[in-house]
Amino acid sequence: MRILLDGFTKSFGAVTVIENMKLEIKDGEMLALLGPSGCGKSTTLFAICGIHKVTGGRILFGDKDVTRIAPQERNVGVVFQSYALYPHKTVEENIAFPLQVRRLSADEISRQVNEMARLVHIEKLLGRRPAELSGGQQQRVALARALVRRPDVLLLDEPLANLDAKLRLEMRSEIRRIQLETGITAVLVTHDQVEAMSMCDRIAIMDAGRIIQIATPSEMYENPRTEFVAGFLGNPPIAFLNGVVGDGAIDISGTDIRLPKSAGALPSYGARVVVGIRPENLGPAGDVPVKGRISFVETQGRENLYDLTLPNGRVLRSIQPVRSDVGLNDEVEWFMRSDRIFVFGEDGARL
Amino acid sequence: MTGNFRSWPVVLALSLLSAPLLLMYAYLIVDTITNSPVGSFVPNEFTLEHWSFLWETPRGRPNIWRVTLNSLVFATSSCLIVLAVSSTAGYVLSRLNVPGRSFFLAGVMVLHAFPAITLIVAIFLVLQMVGLYNSLVGVILVKAAIDMPLGIWIMKGFYDTVPWEIEMAGIQDGASRFRVWHSLVLPQVRPGLFALGLFSFLLGWSEFILPQVLAPGNQVQVLSVYLASLIADDNNFDMALFKSVGLFYIAPVLILFFAFQNYLMNIYGGGTKG
Amino acid sequence: MNSSRNLGLVLMAPAIVLVVLFFLVPVALTAVFSFTTMSTSTGITGGAYQLAPNAIQRLRDQFGMVELAQKLGEPSFVIDERGLATLEAKGVAPGIVAELRSNHLNETFTVRRDVERMIRSLRERPSTPEVKLISAEFSRSLANARFADEAALFAAVKAIDAQLTEDEKAALAAASYSGWTWTTENFRRMVSTPDTARTLFNTLAYVSLTLVLFNTGFAMILALAVHYMPERPAGFFRILWLLPRITPPVIYVLMWKWLAWDTGFLSAVLDDFGVRPRNWMLDSAANAWVVVVFINGLVGASMGMLIFSSAIKAIPQSLFYASEVDGAYRWQQIRHIILPQLRWPILFVTCYQTLSLLTSFEYILLSTNGGPGGTTEVWALAIYHTALNNYAGNLQYGYGAAMALVLVVIGIVLSLVYLRLFNYGALVARPLIEH
Repeated sequence: MRILLDGFTKSFGAVTVIENMKLEIKDGEMLALLGPSGCGKSTTLFAICGIHKVTGGRILFGDKDVTRIAPQERNVGVVFQSYALYPHKTVEENIAFPLQVRRLSADEISRQVNEMARLVHIEKLLGRRPAELSGGQQQRVALARALVRRPDVLLLDEPLANLDAKLRLEMRSEIRRIQLETGITAVLVTHDQVEAMSMCDRIAIMDAGRIIQIATPSEMYENPRTEFVAGFLGNPPIAFLNGVVGDGAIDISGTDIRLPKSAGALPSYGARVVVGIRPENLGPAGDVPVKGRISFVETQGRENLYDLTLPNGRVLRSIQPVRSDVGLNDEVEWFMRSDRIFVFGEDGARL
Repeated sequence: MTGNFRSWPVVLALSLLSAPLLLMYAYLIVDTITNSPVGSFVPNEFTLEHWSFLWETPRGRPNIWRVTLNSLVFATSSCLIVLAVSSTAGYVLSRLNVPGRSFFLAGVMVLHAFPAITLIVAIFLVLQMVGLYNSLVGVILVKAAIDMPLGIWIMKGFYDTVPWEIEMAGIQDGASRFRVWHSLVLPQVRPGLFALGLFSFLLGWSEFILPQVLAPGNQVQVLSVYLASLIADDNNFDMALFKSVGLFYIAPVLILFFAFQNYLMNIYGGGTKG
Repeated sequence: MNSSRNLGLVLMAPAIVLVVLFFLVPVALTAVFSFTTMSTSTGITGGAYQLAPNAIQRLRDQFGMVELAQKLGEPSFVIDERGLATLEAKGVAPGIVAELRSNHLNETFTVRRDVERMIRSLRERPSTPEVKLISAEFSRSLANARFADEAALFAAVKAIDAQLTEDEKAALAAASYSGWTWTTENFRRMVSTPDTARTLFNTLAYVSLTLVLFNTGFAMILALAVHYMPERPAGFFRILWLLPRITPPVIYVLMWKWLAWDTGFLSAVLDDFGVRPRNWMLDSAANAWVVVVFINGLVGASMGMLIFSSAIKAIPQSLFYASEVDGAYRWQQIRHIILPQLRWPILFVTCYQTLSLLTSFEYILLSTNGGPGGTTEVWALAIYHTALNNYAGNLQYGYGAAMALVLVVIGIVLSLVYLRLFNYGALVARPLIEH
């Protein structure tokens, strides 16, 4: 089901946290709300499920306006960060609870609970209590409980934050598999860009209560709209340099790097800009020479991550296949690919 | 306690300080089943005669079992009322978005500190006016009302520890706020209910002033009033009898306290009157 | 009930009802009662009008209505139509009625003997029971008669004096009213009587001595001692010192009596050292005070001990290790690490126990009962003795309420101050579910 937030505004007392947000989640897609803590992504999630009252604007499920509808009647499934399983109920009773509330017959409840348990692979755990389950298993139960009453939309609030690294990887693909199998519209709230990029059809990146950009993961990575988006996506992260628009090129202050002016509108002569270079776009091949000293080498196995300290003290990162010809403290000359460089204005907007 | 200082001098000093206290409790038990020669405190015979109050009712006094039943009714009823009122009001103060919530909370705090015993003259007169003087119902309601602010405060504390997300999940699962409270939150605070129930039962069982003032009649007498009137009767001085009745009266308290001290310690430390 | 507002009000309702009935109303009524003359003799519901001897005396002395008082005071018999009609209705021989009507109508008698002689001398010679019956119907005496309201009183008095002015009626009503009335006398009395000063002094001494010596002082010693012990003895002593608190007051005080009475343990032990056996609880004011402070103090010490203990537990272990590495002695550790952490707990216990000690009286009631000779009578106990229970049996509810009002006001003021002091407002978090 399509979800639409139209002019959504939320205030707590005198403080307005989100103002006039517009967000559309397409039917059957999985959308990530990505941003640092305090950016308003959880507030948005709570507004969709109805735990928060909306200060202004509308929320539509399909064509139905649910803005003033109580959370109990919205038919939204939520998986919380802590899973929020009912500790005194068994797994089976946990999953059955939403159906009991709807007064389904015992046979029907048991049929649907078993079906859901098969979907999330917890058939053998039905008799246990939450305290007897691992984190991943609890996560699966929470998913089953959220999905068992066939909600219009599934909301996931930092679902992987409490898992260790290995389980996180496993549950990432499991949640995506289940979402695809059920075809449900889903919203994932996360501060982890890897989660957002690996699990979702589209990402809405948020900062300070506003959505900065909505796009597919690859489009957002390739084509960030602002300095903030570019800085948030990518691991290892992008490096930024300050520059000034010179004569036919951008001069990076304190170095002799000159970036040729690419096509498109650049600000006038003398304007200050910020240049972003991703680690994979700095290496032995390219068109703009960069001189510097290798100040740190991080071995990642298949690849190495090099920190390149420029004469002005700023650091660029380069990720390259492991090579043995350069080492720590070597002075090297590498190259940037000028066609893969992002240039941002002083306000952070992409130029 | 870090282990870098010797602890035996402290243990020894406190043991000496505690000896009189220990002695009082030890003799409370010993004196009820023994006789000692006049002027001595070393028992020389075992006897059950001091316990005869259990099967013989002295003239002019109510039957001990009747009194015990009254005490039981008094303590249990006021405990149940405290539990009912505290488990609902405590939840509201902890969780629900009601108008004037912070005002209620401040009110409960003030009531908790406020010494309700100062109101006893007015309450005494009111009970007489409405005809609840000398009835268990009246004194039970008064006792429950006086213990209620502490109960609400304790239950609010327990509710505060229940994760919000459990309630959020319940609401998303379609349950009403009442159902969420009743079938999801209340089971989480069961240890709290148990501790508070135990605590307020003990408070009721031990209460003396309220029944003494509001319900002193023979028909509604509770154990504390019974024992106090026994002691106050100058014509029949029998310390061993007093102690036997006293032990009979205190036994449930001691048993419950020792069995469930882990539950109770927090509440006793958390600040009650006295 | 999906909205938390509705559910909240429903769930709050029982608590609110109890608060109103047993806190707000009694507070208001304490104030109301303190301005009345309520006592055992006036009763507590509305009064009646009774021409009792003291009322007639008041009428004469206070209001100067000598003549009316005289008339009301003496028995009187009037042969009137009302009486005759009643006799007819009761089926008394018509001859008697007829003779009374024709020969004796409107005669009055002030002595029963006279009227009875007159009746006996009637022609039909009524028997003695008949004489009694007849004379009773003509009795118009109002002495000791009770009337539910003023109208009934005036109607009855009319038969004796028909010409009462409004002022005289008001005086009659005031003099004969037996119920309670409004007054400010209670407060005047409280200020002027020397008992007040003594009770006040006793209360201050009792509260401050118990508070300083036991509720904080001894509690601190217990907490520190328990802190410097291995876990097992620490647990034992914590429970042992909690016993006075959980022991019902009646038994707890009984154990003290066993210890302190003239046939008690203390006397018996000291007897061996040549000390005359005596009631250590009541033989002198000084001993009574020691006992009262001990009894209350041991009960209060446990609360302080638990609160201080948990405050000490909250101090990071590393702080203790660090100070020991620095070579601190035990008392230095106490002075510089533990005590600074206990400032707020001490303030809390002090505040809390001040109010509690100020108003609780059951332990004193059960032990010394204010004795010997009122030397341990504290304010709260004086209220009990004034309004709720005393040997004489004349309970002065109005005066007791006035005394209680003093504590109620102190209680309200102090609880509000504590609310500010401990900043309970900070505990009010906004509910996360807004619906």
